[in-house]
Amino acid sequence: MATTDTLILATDITNSQTVAVTLDGKNILICNANGDFYAVANLCTHQRAVLTGGRIRNCFLACPLHGVRFDLRTGKPLGELTRVPLKTYDVSLADNGNLQIELD
Amino acid sequence: MSELIKVKQQGEARCEGLSYQDLLDDETIEVPAYLRQNTNPYMGDEDIGVGRWIDRDFHELEKKKLWPKVWQMTCREEDIPEVGDHHIYEIVDQSIIVTRTGENEFKAFINSCLHRGRILRDCDGHAEEFVCPFHGATWDINGEFKGIPCKWDFSHLDQKDMSLPQVKVGTWGGFIFINFDENCVSLEDYLSPLPEHFARFPLHDYYKGAHVERVVQCNWKVGAEAFMESFHTLETHSEILTFTGDANSQYDTFGDHVSRSVTPMGVPSPHMPEVTEAETMRDILELSGRMATDSAEGHEMPEGLTARTYVAETNREMFGEIIGESLDQATKSELEDAILYMLFPNTQVWTGYHGNIVYRFLPNGDDHNSCIFETMILMRYPKGTKRPEPAMKNTLRPDQAFSEAPEIGGLGPVFDQDDSNMAAVQKGMIASRKGAVSLASYQESRIRHLHQSIDKYLNA
Repeated sequence: MATTDTLILATDITNSQTVAVTLDGKNILICNANGDFYAVANLCTHQRAVLTGGRIRNCFLACPLHGVRFDLRTGKPLGELTRVPLKTYDVSLADNGNLQIELD
Repeated sequence: MSELIKVKQQGEARCEGLSYQDLLDDETIEVPAYLRQNTNPYMGDEDIGVGRWIDRDFHELEKKKLWPKVWQMTCREEDIPEVGDHHIYEIVDQSIIVTRTGENEFKAFINSCLHRGRILRDCDGHAEEFVCPFHGATWDINGEFKGIPCKWDFSHLDQKDMSLPQVKVGTWGGFIFINFDENCVSLEDYLSPLPEHFARFPLHDYYKGAHVERVVQCNWKVGAEAFMESFHTLETHSEILTFTGDANSQYDTFGDHVSRSVTPMGVPSPHMPEVTEAETMRDILELSGRMATDSAEGHEMPEGLTARTYVAETNREMFGEIIGESLDQATKSELEDAILYMLFPNTQVWTGYHGNIVYRFLPNGDDHNSCIFETMILMRYPKGTKRPEPAMKNTLRPDQAFSEAPEIGGLGPVFDQDDSNMAAVQKGMIASRKGAVSLASYQESRIRHLHQSIDKYLNA
């Protein structure tokens, strides 16, 4: 496990916004769902669309392409389009206000 | 004598004791006209064959002649708050994309790709455009065709209408309805007199505080009928008899599409003459699940007051605080009675100032021996504050009890009692040698009304 600074201030991601970052070669999407931050792999497990800009509601992120919804807490999908969960990463707040992510 | 009373009414006998209309005479606030209506025109008393609930043929007939013709509730407007949000409404073997296309505009499309027929959207969600997951044929959210990959291979479609087919849409009370029939009556005519009766309860401005669903192993009509009479309270929910005027309920029918039951609350059942006012007050607060508080702790009945009045006044004060509005003009009846409307064929809505229950019974896909039972609770919020987000639907597994859904509170254990009958009725009807059911003339008249209205569609 490596704690990695995203260099993004938590205050720069507004509610329901997504921000994509590349860390250690991984494309990761940071999401603000009602003030809680989540980080998931930025690639839909249905047909590999990028999830950036997907709509967030109630802790669920919807893929912009075909609408699969993923539970940001667990990465688990709803519905029939895919049964494969998104990889999730732990997010924490650094002392300087930046978001940091636990990479494997 | 009013026009209505001249019409022969269903059943002539009524339970002894105070009728609902007698209780209205005791109101101190002017009683609105809709509560004074008391109408249940004669429909007959013949047995009804069980085939209507258990035969595949009957289900096929409903599939062909009922569901394609009726207005049916799909979801709440608040479920799809932003342009591009959509809900997938499924009824028997049909699938519809109900989508918001403007601030106050909705469209409903047949959920089937015009290329190879795959359903276009698999689940509720949000879309800037509808892209078929199979080959990528694309429509905008207004249903206009935007294209398909390898356009060179589809020049034969250039002259075809490639807009997504639509069905009719209408809204009332914050609910979105659809109708497959292009020549149907207007939603307004279909709903009448529901909007008039709900004038004091602006449901479009309530938010969905809870939404729970579960498959039940019975025909959708068996499910609906479990909530259309209070006669079953005596045997099924005996713990609520101390505060439920079960056999003194009033049953009304209004045209083909609307019926109503009013069960007085805060009064003991006529089956229980020995109950004290204090017991009625304690039990209604503790057990009903619909009052402003679910604990009787700290509540003492003031001398000379009835439980009905005390509980109504408690509700008036506490509901008023929650919604930030005076409920001075609310009758005791509206503050505590079970006033439950049925909108044909499968939606039921309670009146009330806070915590209005909604039931819906959908056929479970194409299976006539099971249904999906849904409950929503519509809540109010303080005037001038931001509308809370609607609750997400909680789908219980078939082996879960309704009491495992904490968001519906005291209703869960009551539903579990109803649930213990629903599948058992289906099973018993299949086993029946008599092959028919015999309805109570008055107390089960709304069930007869439901079936007579179904027949009007099936025989049309």
